[in-house]
Order: sequence, then C-alpha cells, then structure tokens
Amino acid sequence: MLDTGVRQFRMAMGMVWGRRLNPRSLGRLVDDVIATIAEFGEPGEDAQEVLGGPLAEPGERLEWANRGLSRTARRLAAESPFYARRFTAAQTDPAELDVEGLRAIPVTTKRDLIEQAADFRCADVAAYLATRTTGTTGRPAEVWLSRYEMELWPALGALASVIRGELRPGDIMQVNVSSRATAATHLAAASCRLAGAMCRLLGILAPDEALDSLGQGGATLLLTCPSYLAELVTAARRRGMGPADFRLRRVTVGGELLSPSLAQAACQTLGVPQVEDSYSMTEVIPVTGRTCSQRHLHHDVNTGLTELLDLRTGEPAAAGALGTIVITPFFPYRDCMPVFRFDTRDVARCLPGEALDCELAGVPATSQILGKADHLLNMGAEDVVTPRQLVEAIEALPSAPWPARYRARAADGRIQLTLPATAIAGYGEAAARRHLADALGSPDMDLTIVGDDQAAALRQTRSDLRETTFASPPALVGA
Amino acid sequence: MPVTTEPISLLQQTLTEFGVILVGVSLVTSGALLYFRKVRMERPPIGTFNGRDIVILLAFISVLPFLYGYLPYWLITCLLIITFASALYLGYNPILGRGWTWLGIGLLIGLNYWTSHHLMGTTAGWQLWWAELSILVGLGAIAVSNLYVQGGMKLQYVAWLALGLAVYDIIFATVLPLTDQLVAGYLAHPLDPLLGMRFGIDNYGVGLGDLLVYALFLVAAYKAYGAKAARIAFGLILVMGVVVTAFIPFLFNFLDTELDLLVPSQALFGPAAYLCYLWMRRRYGPERTMAQYLASADAAPAVPPARRAPAPEPASV
Repeated sequence: MLDTGVRQFRMAMGMVWGRRLNPRSLGRLVDDVIATIAEFGEPGEDAQEVLGGPLAEPGERLEWANRGLSRTARRLAAESPFYARRFTAAQTDPAELDVEGLRAIPVTTKRDLIEQAADFRCADVAAYLATRTTGTTGRPAEVWLSRYEMELWPALGALASVIRGELRPGDIMQVNVSSRATAATHLAAASCRLAGAMCRLLGILAPDEALDSLGQGGATLLLTCPSYLAELVTAARRRGMGPADFRLRRVTVGGELLSPSLAQAACQTLGVPQVEDSYSMTEVIPVTGRTCSQRHLHHDVNTGLTELLDLRTGEPAAAGALGTIVITPFFPYRDCMPVFRFDTRDVARCLPGEALDCELAGVPATSQILGKADHLLNMGAEDVVTPRQLVEAIEALPSAPWPARYRARAADGRIQLTLPATAIAGYGEAAARRHLADALGSPDMDLTIVGDDQAAALRQTRSDLRETTFASPPALVGA
Repeated sequence: MPVTTEPISLLQQTLTEFGVILVGVSLVTSGALLYFRKVRMERPPIGTFNGRDIVILLAFISVLPFLYGYLPYWLITCLLIITFASALYLGYNPILGRGWTWLGIGLLIGLNYWTSHHLMGTTAGWQLWWAELSILVGLGAIAVSNLYVQGGMKLQYVAWLALGLAVYDIIFATVLPLTDQLVAGYLAHPLDPLLGMRFGIDNYGVGLGDLLVYALFLVAAYKAYGAKAARIAFGLILVMGVVVTAFIPFLFNFLDTELDLLVPSQALFGPAAYLCYLWMRRRYGPERTMAQYLASADAAPAVPPARRAPAPEPASV
C-alpha cells in the first residue's frame, strides 16, 4: 500500500511536469490494481482519477493543453528537423505556443509524413520498431517507435483497462487485426502480459478458423475491425452459432465505420452487451477516442490535443459543421517520431453547444467518425452524404450485406450507387432503392447492381488483408 | 539481583497490572472488532496492505527508539500529535463527520497536553491524565487496526508483524535496552503512547504497539475465518498478552534497571500468534478477502464511508 502510493505519486508528478514516465513503475501499478481487485472486488472510488482525470473543467483542460503544446513544441523544435523548419517558417516561439496561437502552425499531412519521414525522427531517441499504416487510403506511412513508447503505451493501456474492468487476469484476448499492424498487435499482447491475461494473435484468417478459436478456444475478449467482425458474424450465423457457443464478454473494434445494424447483430450472435467502437490511428498513437452510449466520440485530453477543423476554412468547426480531426500527441507520451497537428482527414461533426449528458460527459466529444474527407459526396452547397450514412444504410438492408461493399459518387446532384447482387438478394431492386433513398434522405439516386465477383473491388476493407495458413492455403502461384 | 523498594508486594503489583491490562486489552480489541463489523472506512483507490508494507512498518518501528532517544521532546510531541490526529480523523470521520471529529480530536489532544503539564502533582491528577490518555490511545489503536485490516492486511501479515515485533522486543529489551529508557524517560509527557492507570505511586500500563498488534490479530482473524477464529484469537490474546505478560514478572522477579516491571510482551505473544496463524491456515484453509468477508453473513450492515459527489469520468482513454 505504501509503495503503491509512491508509484502513484511518481506517475502524477511525471504527468504534471511532463517528464518521461517510468514504464516499469506503471507495470507494477497494474499489479497493484490487480491485487486491489483481488482483495476488494473492485478498485476504490477515485481510481479513475489515477488515469489523469478528471480534467472535467474547461479551464483545467485548457491549461493542460497549453502546457502540453508548449512542452511538445519546444522538444520538436530542438529534436525534429521537420518541425524545426516548420516552427521557424511560422515565426513562432515554441515555448510560447498555446491553443490560441496554434493556428499559426500549418497542419501536418500524411503526404508530409510519407515524403519526409526521416525528418520526423527525433534526434535524441533511438528507434526500435516500425509500424506501417495499412494503406487503405493510399501509400502506407511508416512510423518509427522507441522502446520507451512500446513499454509505456501498454502499461498505460493495461492500467486503464484493468481499472475499468475491461481486462482481467485470466481473460483470453483474441486479436483479429492485420499482423502487419505491429504496434496494435504488440500493444495488445503487452497489455495482456501486464494484466495477467492471455493473448491470441491470429491476424485476418479465414473467418471459420477465427470462429473456431473464439468458440472452442474460450476467448473472452475480441479485438478486431468492423469489416472482419462482419465476416465473423456472417460465418457464425451461417453455421448456426449463437451466444451459447461463445464465452465473450467484450468485443472492441476500430479502424473502420461500425454500423448499428452490424453492432446489434454481433451482440445477438456473440452474446455481448455491446460492441465497443474505439478510435485510434497509427500516425497519432497513443491519442485515442471512445464512443459513448449516445454515439458521441470522446477524445482523450491527457495524452494529446484533438482539434476539429472546418473542412473549408481550416478554422475550428462551428456547432453542427463538419470538420477534419487534427491531433497533436503530447510529449512524454510520444517520443520517437512525433507529429504535431496531424490532419487525420477523418471527418466528424461538431456537436451542438449544449452540455452533454452521457456517461462520458466530462470528456470533450464530436460526433462519431463519418468517413474520410475525400470520400464525402457533395450533393450541393450545404448537402453532403457521408460514408457513414452509406455504410449504415446499406448494412441495414434486410439481406444483411456485411461488410458493406459499394461504390458511390455524386453526379449532377444525384447519388450514383453501385451494389453487388447479394446486397439486395431476396429484397428486390425497387425495395432496395426505396430503403436507401429513405435512409440517405435523397430520392435522387441511380442504383446499379453488379455481380458478386466484383464486390471486393467496389470498396476495399481491412478484412480483405487476408492472411493464409497451410490449413487454408491460397491459390497456388508459380510452378 | 536488584532490591525491590516497592511499598506493596510484587504479587499485589502483578494483580493490579493484570487488571489494568485485562481491562485495556479487552476494551481495545473488542472495540476494534465492533468497529470492524459496524463501520466501513474509506480506502485508497489503488493498493492493498502487502508484505512490503510489513517490512516498511518493521523498519520504521526499529528506527523509532533511536528517534525517541535523539529527538527533542517537543519534536516528538509534534510527531505524536500528527500521528494521533491523522489516525483519529481517518477512524472517526466516517462515524462523526468532519466537524465533530476535529472537535473531538482537538479536545482529546488539548486536554492531554494540558493535564501533562498541570495535573501531575497528585495521584488523582495522574489518574485523570491516565484515563484521558487511555481513551486517546485506545481510540487510536482501534482506528489504526481497522485502517490496516480494512485496507487489506491479511492475518498472515499480522502474524509476520507479531513475529517481527517479538524479535524487536527481545533485542530492544535485552541487547539494546532502549525500551526501558523510552518508557521511563517519556512518561508523563503529552501523548505518551501507553494505556494504563496509576495506583499509589505505581504506574501500570500497556504500550500502544502491543494494543495495536492484539487488535490487528483479533480483527484479521475474524475477517479471515469468522467468529470461531476470532474467539481463538481472543483467547490467545488473553493468555499470552494478558495473563502471561502480567504474571511473568511475578514468576521471574522481572525488574529492570529502574526497578520497574517491564515485560517485552511481544516476545511472548509474537511466536504464539504466528503458530496460531499456521494452525488456522491448516485448519480453515485460505483466508477470506475483504470482498469475500463483505459478501459473507459475518458482515453486518456497516456505516459506509462519507461519500463525495461522484466524479465525472476521467478525461483519458
């Protein structure tokens, strides 16, 4: 108990003063939480505050953000060639940088990160592990991470998960994300190790293999992406599997749009109360977001600053407006190859000004992610159809076409939508057209149906990054 | 062999000491158990009492005699005020609320400070000082024992602590006889950590540390295994902590250099407590956790800790 107090104090001081945290000490703090739960059944009342909160007061949050920005900018000006040039060009004193003056610094784009990757590396840190984006939106970006980061993030993640009861000793976590997502898989495995849980890293296998592992393997937690969850649910339904066949207590997805139809079906089939829809992105880890029961996306304010910038003006988005999410991870949470004002191009809507009343009301929020900015359909001056609208509309079709495969574009104020034949199977083209028009609020629609063999080409998903085993080999290539 | 200069016989002294210890130990241990059954203290959000805490506690206790010996009395008094005030606040805030608790602490400590300086000229004055000090020390022992056990201290750790204190008592009563000097030197100073009474020209008492170990052993045994284990623990406390402790000077003419009767009672109780713990573990199996205790029929509806307004969800992910 006494040494636990010392560890909490060290963590708090590290966060307040912005010094590197001690991952080993954080790991021991995870042990302390586990021991506390073993003795008392749950952590004490204020355990959540150990995570750095509540920071519920806007004034406190602003002060925290200002200090984080200034600290991060000072370090980047000294250690990152890219940002040294950028701050000089903006004629900004990094030590004086705050939320108010932030707009003087141009946003960092994915193109910057790809084309000048070496210049993002901080000179004072040795790189350890590279992780790549999956390249679903074009050429993949490579992000180098330090050993400190790869020890710190799992410790912070495990601490938060164990305190919230999301991860327990004895849990079996099955991870069905691409094996090339090295950071994500490493973090999942390391978090499980710290929490005394088991971890099964499977990758994107044939859904039946993953289902066998979920059912007979006794997994209690599933981490995957929505498109693969869709394939799992579809395969489970085909095999007649239901909640009695699984031991799952939590399903967490991220990286893609999750529709309510798919979430509901997953809950019914896998027997979990809800599917947790988290937001994270390789380029901006460890800053993440959580979706509440009212479908707001709440953004972490401890490890970074999240801005929502109007798509047209680049200024902070007004209430109700669409904006792109721009994220700055703070030092000491990001170390080796940090980004500053990284434009994710993930679009969300600014919530109305009134106070939130959800369970995460103390944490700033936007709408859920509505899709990538480049995938919006501009129907008119103020009329936009988002990828989320399309995915939700298509995945709500009675044929349960999960994951949604479609191609959409706007032409002359009309939506031109292409779907595979299975999407409307047993429903009919006319009924599907009415359903989609109602869901999208756009009666002007051209619907084209193509063969199922073209489905994957219509819209690529993460579940397409299929990995093989000798038990399920791909078609033979070569002699 | 020292010459006894007491106006009353050693047997009379022994019987008086027995009565004082019996009343003090019984009241404090049963008070601690009653508190445990009726009151829930606020606990830290993360952390449970563990083996490292025992090591830290023993190290601190081992340093204490030297601190007492070398620090000026005014500084020791200040440290004792902080210690007692903290313990009493943590222990009685859940029952009395903040205002009444601080008022009570102020009165108890203030009165003790005043009587220490103004009422030591007569036996009646001494008795008033002892009575008031005993209330203070008894309440402190009840609070701290509950703080530890409700904080997750297992019977196993209490047994280790008792065994460690046995070694401590032997060393500081024989090899480095600092305990004598401490007891004799600090007597009648404010917040002297003793529970006792004066009869005639003799003072009879039991140390706060001893009371704390007895209370811990009883409460931890009850938490771990229920009422039957508590009865066994209480019996052991009465035999080793009261009867043997009170009568051993009579049997061995156990006088110290100041011609006082000073018994290193943990040297007797510690090994017995440890053996008792081993027996209970063998007989009853693993100890109950606090959660298991609270879920059991042994747990009476308790006064919950004063709750603050629920904090909003932290701003982190």
